[in-house]
Amino acid sequence: MRRSLIGRSWPNVIAVVLFVFFIFPVYWMVATSFKKDGDIISKTPVFIPFHGTLDHYVTAVNAKNFWTYVANSFTVTVGAVLASLVIATLASFAIARMRFRGRKAFVLVVMAAQMAPWEVMTIAVYMISRDNELLNSLVPLTLFYMMMVLPFTIWTLRSFIAAVPKELEESAMVDGCTRTQAFVKVIFPLLAPGLMSTSLFGFITAWNEFPLVLILNKEQGQTLPLWLSSFKTAFGNDWGATMAASTMFAIPVLVLFVFLQRKAVGGLTDGAVKG
Amino acid sequence: MKRQLIAAVGVAAMVVGLAACGSDAKKEGGDSGSSTAASSGKKDYNGKTLKVWLMTGSAPKGWTDSVKAEFESTYPGSKLDFQEQVWDGIGQKITAALSEGSVDVVEVGNTQTAGYAASGGLLDITKDKAYLGGSDWAANQNEAAVLDGKQYAAPWWVSNRVVAYNKDLWAAAGLKDAPKTLEEFYGNLEKLKGTAGVDDAIYMPGQEWYVYFGLLTSEGGKIAKKEGDKWVGGLSSPEAKKAFETYQKLQSYSKAPKDKDEATPQQKDVFAKGNVGTMIGLGWELPKEEELSASKIGFFPLPGKTADKASGVFLGGSNLAIAQNSKNTDMAKDFLKVALNDKNEGLVAAAGNIPNKESLSGQVAGDFAKAAVPASKQGAITPNTPNWASVEDKPNPIKEFLTAALQGGDYAATAKKYDDEIAKRLNQKQ
Amino acid sequence: MAVHSERVHTQSPDSGKAAVASIETSAVGGGANGTPKKSARSADGRSFGAKAAPYLLLLPATVATLALLGWPLLKTVLLSFQNLNRRQLVMHLTEWNGFDNYKEQLTDPDFWAVTGRTVAFTLVNVVLIMAGGTLVGLLLNRLGKWMRLVLSVGLLMAWAMPVVAATTVYTWLFDQQWGVVNWFLDKFGWHSMADYNWMSDQYSTYFVIILLIVWQSIPFVAFNMYAGLTTIPKELYEAARMDGAGAFKIFGSVVFPSLKPFFLATTFLEVIWVFKAFTQVYAINAGGPENLTRNLPVHAFLEGSSGQHYGVGSAIAVLTILMLVALMAYYFRIMLKQEDEL
Repeated sequence: MRRSLIGRSWPNVIAVVLFVFFIFPVYWMVATSFKKDGDIISKTPVFIPFHGTLDHYVTAVNAKNFWTYVANSFTVTVGAVLASLVIATLASFAIARMRFRGRKAFVLVVMAAQMAPWEVMTIAVYMISRDNELLNSLVPLTLFYMMMVLPFTIWTLRSFIAAVPKELEESAMVDGCTRTQAFVKVIFPLLAPGLMSTSLFGFITAWNEFPLVLILNKEQGQTLPLWLSSFKTAFGNDWGATMAASTMFAIPVLVLFVFLQRKAVGGLTDGAVKG
Repeated sequence: MKRQLIAAVGVAAMVVGLAACGSDAKKEGGDSGSSTAASSGKKDYNGKTLKVWLMTGSAPKGWTDSVKAEFESTYPGSKLDFQEQVWDGIGQKITAALSEGSVDVVEVGNTQTAGYAASGGLLDITKDKAYLGGSDWAANQNEAAVLDGKQYAAPWWVSNRVVAYNKDLWAAAGLKDAPKTLEEFYGNLEKLKGTAGVDDAIYMPGQEWYVYFGLLTSEGGKIAKKEGDKWVGGLSSPEAKKAFETYQKLQSYSKAPKDKDEATPQQKDVFAKGNVGTMIGLGWELPKEEELSASKIGFFPLPGKTADKASGVFLGGSNLAIAQNSKNTDMAKDFLKVALNDKNEGLVAAAGNIPNKESLSGQVAGDFAKAAVPASKQGAITPNTPNWASVEDKPNPIKEFLTAALQGGDYAATAKKYDDEIAKRLNQKQ
Repeated sequence: MAVHSERVHTQSPDSGKAAVASIETSAVGGGANGTPKKSARSADGRSFGAKAAPYLLLLPATVATLALLGWPLLKTVLLSFQNLNRRQLVMHLTEWNGFDNYKEQLTDPDFWAVTGRTVAFTLVNVVLIMAGGTLVGLLLNRLGKWMRLVLSVGLLMAWAMPVVAATTVYTWLFDQQWGVVNWFLDKFGWHSMADYNWMSDQYSTYFVIILLIVWQSIPFVAFNMYAGLTTIPKELYEAARMDGAGAFKIFGSVVFPSLKPFFLATTFLEVIWVFKAFTQVYAINAGGPENLTRNLPVHAFLEGSSGQHYGVGSAIAVLTILMLVALMAYYFRIMLKQEDEL
């Protein structure tokens, strides 16, 4: 009896330990952002900020051009995600449902493109943007971010489309739908989880991107990762403001995650398992 | 302390004397200024914007406002756009901006000016030097703005580090006078260490390479020198070793990390906590008034091994340069003229930095400057060679050297390793 | 039609109502063995459109890929053959220097040290991520509804943290003076850690970086693993248990074979992601101390952008890309086989 109780409870104990392990850094970020300076720089950590303050958020928001950064980040991220969804839906339909010469090559390119090391190509991207007078603009940023997420989006949507039984489409067409209508009415709704998971992935990628925007946009068109990194230098060890900025930076992604959680997680899984 | 004060007052008096001598020059400057103002009245910068990059914390208080107001009223319809840049990764940023022509005037560190000049990014202003008032520029500052006999920048100001101390803690440790020798200073630090309320006797992270550079200067050493047509690093020299020993001794009194520089975190923020006895810093590195009042902070030059001479210092400073690719070079020149005139340069002095003309030294004000000016006599600057800037590129081998040696690495091997790196960078082709 | 009877499901909608519909079906048939039909179709007069349809659908993606990825790649290769330093960048000069940049790198012991480190770093991370992720996934499958939700929330939070924010938080957690980690270690008896500087040593810096990457990557693997586990029919477990198989045996005989594609895909993705990890390594300690945690992307950045030797940086980038391609080769072969089946 006793043994089975232990046997039954150890997974829960481990789960709690793991929960703490995974949540603690997030908690610590949020907690620090609400603490008074004296509680942050303190030899004994304050675990729950009872005497909280919003000062750090005020500092973070009052940083120069904060709202421009916010607007830029949203513009670039949403633009990149939408564009990649449109382009990817077209392409993934072709490779999931059609057989044609060059299909294999295309699939290969998509897979390879998914691994593209953007981190080491910043110099080339910079030179291209400079020589075409595209610096300090949101356009190249949106385009390149779109490209960063496009392969993954195609890849994931492809497996979603492939997973839709062809009979469904066919029966719709028997009912008098054209193939386009069949796609819109039958496949597209079933793609929702795929679209969500890829949007989420795209959102995170574009939202986070740092090396490229650092070199492309030095005056205008700067995004929130630059704002966040400016805190690290400008505020020195002002951990309160840094953590407040980090929290604010993380919130849109966290919110999106919670909203799309179910479908997105399933979606990514399907993509990976079936891929 | 008293003797120190007397010395400081003496120097200040001397400087005032110099300033008095220089007042004629000042008038001349004023004259030439008014004459060019007349000629420049014809110039029309209406609707044009001049983009100027300044480094964080570089412009003295009120300087940008004053320059902006003066320039924009002199040239109606024109606009000055000051943009503040952070030091982190600045080399790459400035290079990019110079290549794009997206900036008109840049502030460049005096150790890095030769590098930018050699890259072809800076406008040759040799012909405009006199127009800009350059005949009066202090020779030791102008040196860093010249490469191969051509003027590529205008000196703006220089400054050097001194010891800042927390007066309350200093008193609590029973200390009165500023130390006259390093030995005395070590003794002071020892006392501070054992004083209640002192968390750190001196805040000195391991990578304060400017301090090390100063100590190297005291020993008569060079960070690098040219042998034939090749540069060799100077860390392995006996002078460098002696300088390092002093540096290590000083650093041993600090709890600060050995692998950080004074800017991460900003040492002024650490000092502001009020439990740090001393730090070695610049005039702008003062805590915010509400955190630690300036009245509670005293200054003295880092003493030397003997009482007759303070330790050497690194004469860091900034030049203002015009971008070769700027589309507003005339406007940029007139900007420099306004920015560097006696009134605005006076603000530099008032903020405690050393202005670009000796005639203005008399206006140097504040406790900091009183300690800094005498120490600046022992000042030196890094080799004026185009590749020097790349030595300061991340990861700076001098900083890495200091960390490695402080952490107990074998001195000879470590010095050799980083000498090689310094040489590699200095000898690379453009 | 009879020719394609084995593919009857793809042919049935061939009612010729809408252009798109007929175009696509014929395209499906127009593969390697579709020759007879093709000729039949050309009489129809829609063959060109039919053949063009997939290409039209792929056109935007292809154009985007060529312009936005192909071009930068080509440019990187071109730059890698140039002497491109500060002067050349500022003056817009093009100075070809053949294989000089490559020679310099390939004969530089630093480059090989960085390469070896990158491989080892990738290996350690991926092993930890896959092992950790699999175990957490198995745990999720075992937990009750509530505990599963709790753990999921924790995993989700770690996963959703933007990398830039996460690295900032980790530097704060491991701060020498005020970091909560040092406080914990001190409190629990490891007093020498009270003021320990994590960034002063290669291995402790690596510890922080690896912890960060593993922390952020495990949720992805764990969720996938869990989702994969739910697709395994219960009967399989039961059958294995009837045969007297233990937990390890079940994993080996039931779970692993069923989820082999998952393990393959995820491992591969993680290998690629870790191999090119830049933000975490750079933001934690900029490849320090003494360059001892530099990996290839950070090396390319520090030599190229930061050190302003853009040609050299590009050469390192090309070498990195070549290594990635080599890594991909094996996986691609397997994937392509799967493509045949699809």
